[in-house]
Amino acid sequence: MKTIDIFGYAFSAIKLRKLRAALTILGVVIGIAAIVALLSITQGLQASITNQLQQGLSTNTLIVTPGVSALGQATSGSGGGAGGRGINLGGSSTSNSGFNLYVNYTDQINALSPDIEGSFAVIQRSGYVEAGGVNRSVTIYGVDFNQYAKQYSKTFVAASGTIPLNPADSETVVGTRVNNPGQNGTLLFSAGDNIGIVWSNATTLPVVNETYTAQVSAVLQKIGGFGIGGPSDTGVYIPLSKAESFFGTDQCDMIIVQLKSSDNATITNVSKAITDYFGGQVSVISSTAVLSLLSTVFSTVQLFLGGIAAISLLVAGIGIMNIMIVSLIERTREIGILKALGMKSRTVLTIFLGESVIIGLIGAVIGIVLGWILANVTARVLGSGVFGGGGGFTITPLLTPEVLLGALAFGVGVSVIFALYPAWRASKLKPVEALRYE
Amino acid sequence: MVPIVEAVNVKKTYMLGKVPVEALRGVDLKVETGDFVSILGPSGSGKSTMLNLIGALDKPTAGTLLIDGVDISKLNDNQLADLRRRIGFVFQFFNLIPRLTARDNVELSMSISDTGRAQRRKRAEELLETVGLKDRINHKPAELSGGQQQRVAIARALANNPRFLLLDEPTGNIDSKTASEVIRLIKKLNVENNVSIIMVTHDQHLAREAKRTAQMFDGQIISEVVNQE
Repeated sequence: MKTIDIFGYAFSAIKLRKLRAALTILGVVIGIAAIVALLSITQGLQASITNQLQQGLSTNTLIVTPGVSALGQATSGSGGGAGGRGINLGGSSTSNSGFNLYVNYTDQINALSPDIEGSFAVIQRSGYVEAGGVNRSVTIYGVDFNQYAKQYSKTFVAASGTIPLNPADSETVVGTRVNNPGQNGTLLFSAGDNIGIVWSNATTLPVVNETYTAQVSAVLQKIGGFGIGGPSDTGVYIPLSKAESFFGTDQCDMIIVQLKSSDNATITNVSKAITDYFGGQVSVISSTAVLSLLSTVFSTVQLFLGGIAAISLLVAGIGIMNIMIVSLIERTREIGILKALGMKSRTVLTIFLGESVIIGLIGAVIGIVLGWILANVTARVLGSGVFGGGGGFTITPLLTPEVLLGALAFGVGVSVIFALYPAWRASKLKPVEALRYE
Repeated sequence: MVPIVEAVNVKKTYMLGKVPVEALRGVDLKVETGDFVSILGPSGSGKSTMLNLIGALDKPTAGTLLIDGVDISKLNDNQLADLRRRIGFVFQFFNLIPRLTARDNVELSMSISDTGRAQRRKRAEELLETVGLKDRINHKPAELSGGQQQRVAIARALANNPRFLLLDEPTGNIDSKTASEVIRLIKKLNVENNVSIIMVTHDQHLAREAKRTAQMFDGQIISEVVNQE
């Protein structure tokens, strides 16, 4: 029997029991839709985070922090509240081992390798700003504006005002969510205004709130969610020299090292040189390392979520098997007739498998479309800040060809696998007995 | 020409639970091309078993059974299926596929034997015209009377140009008036189109419509008579 005739016959059998077929297909649809929705959202999330990280952390950059724990210390710690230093996970300038990084270590680091373009220190504290009678939690960064602007040329960019490259001590630059917390146009202050910058000095007892008045030279463009070491929407930037005097320290929280090249060998060599130089007392984070860690994390998450969705597809598969067995029993006589007319066993097998292919294919296609719609709706809901996201972060679901073809193959594959047994049983029916079946 | 059926001392034993049942106890039968033979017998005489064997649906336990010159005990399942394409089966209960139209039912047996779409469509229409159902080709079995369904079944059986038609109580489920029409059709096919026919029945009147009648009893053919026109 020709393939097209086999599929035609299989399709006529499916058409006969429309509701039953629809419910069977629905099982596949739900499984595939769940897989596609979950995977395209996580992939979109990964792409979005990776993209933002790459902006905040250019690939030719290393971040040196004191202490040996890997990644947690390098995050900006925004919203850490007053009293800051102790709260950042090992990220304060006094690490457990007692090792400290100092602002003037940049010269020593620069001398370590010819691959180093330059380096600069960042002092970082949690604090808040006072403006218009409102206190707003922020992270205060002491940086060299000139080097910082050069390093983060895409994100350390003024939306209003001008970033001073040789700032006076009283000048400051703030992230967009500092003067516009709700991102709704209600400005607490604007470029040119004076604000109070407050830091709770917990190195003395009782804790003293230290304050000075600074003039806002510039408000940054919106950056988005993340930035390891890089500019942040809730950051307040003050000149490094002012930070040293204001915080009363010349210890820094990180030193950002610019490399001449972003190839892996350079990153590895320089990272090792710096770690060795400080006797293993520092962590060196590269964008490559962060991104590869991130990719590992997301692979695990995807595997987990995909696995959960796959279980629902297995349930659908069992449904298919169940229906096929019922169908096989109902059609025993029909199979007898087909065999009496000269149909071979393997053709009977192919007809039953053909039915499962049709069910799997229809289910997978509808499931992919539905999953994609679901992913977009979810992304929009998440992006709109309904769940407290604050609208600072957008996810664009990503449907890669791998996910698309994988979902299609998985849907059809599960259908066929669960149809194997019923189809095999149908093909093994003896014509004499099948014809006698009432 | 090779005889269409040649049975020599054919035996068939079933296991009914743990009890062996001898359904056929040495049957000899020879049917030549162009013949019209009826196998007559009461229920339990072994005629259904004989039908299954001649239809290549089952194999004998002992003896030799040649269908169209082929010893069926030597065939595997695939080869038996191939052989069945050369036999035109007509069942007591019509056994049409309910969801297919008359034409699709006739086409089905041709699509099983790989006939092209255009060709089988044309032939299905011709055959339905031959059996007098030209105006019913797009009707499904449920929309046809018993006699009409049986005529569709005959058209289906003829579709692959079989070596012979094998009829199982062809009028068993239709009223007597329609039955005589079906009989007339069968005789016409035999006389005018030279189609060889083997008919299994328990009905003496029907059996006499054939050229020859083989009387079965208790798993054996006890007599063979030539019927008068």
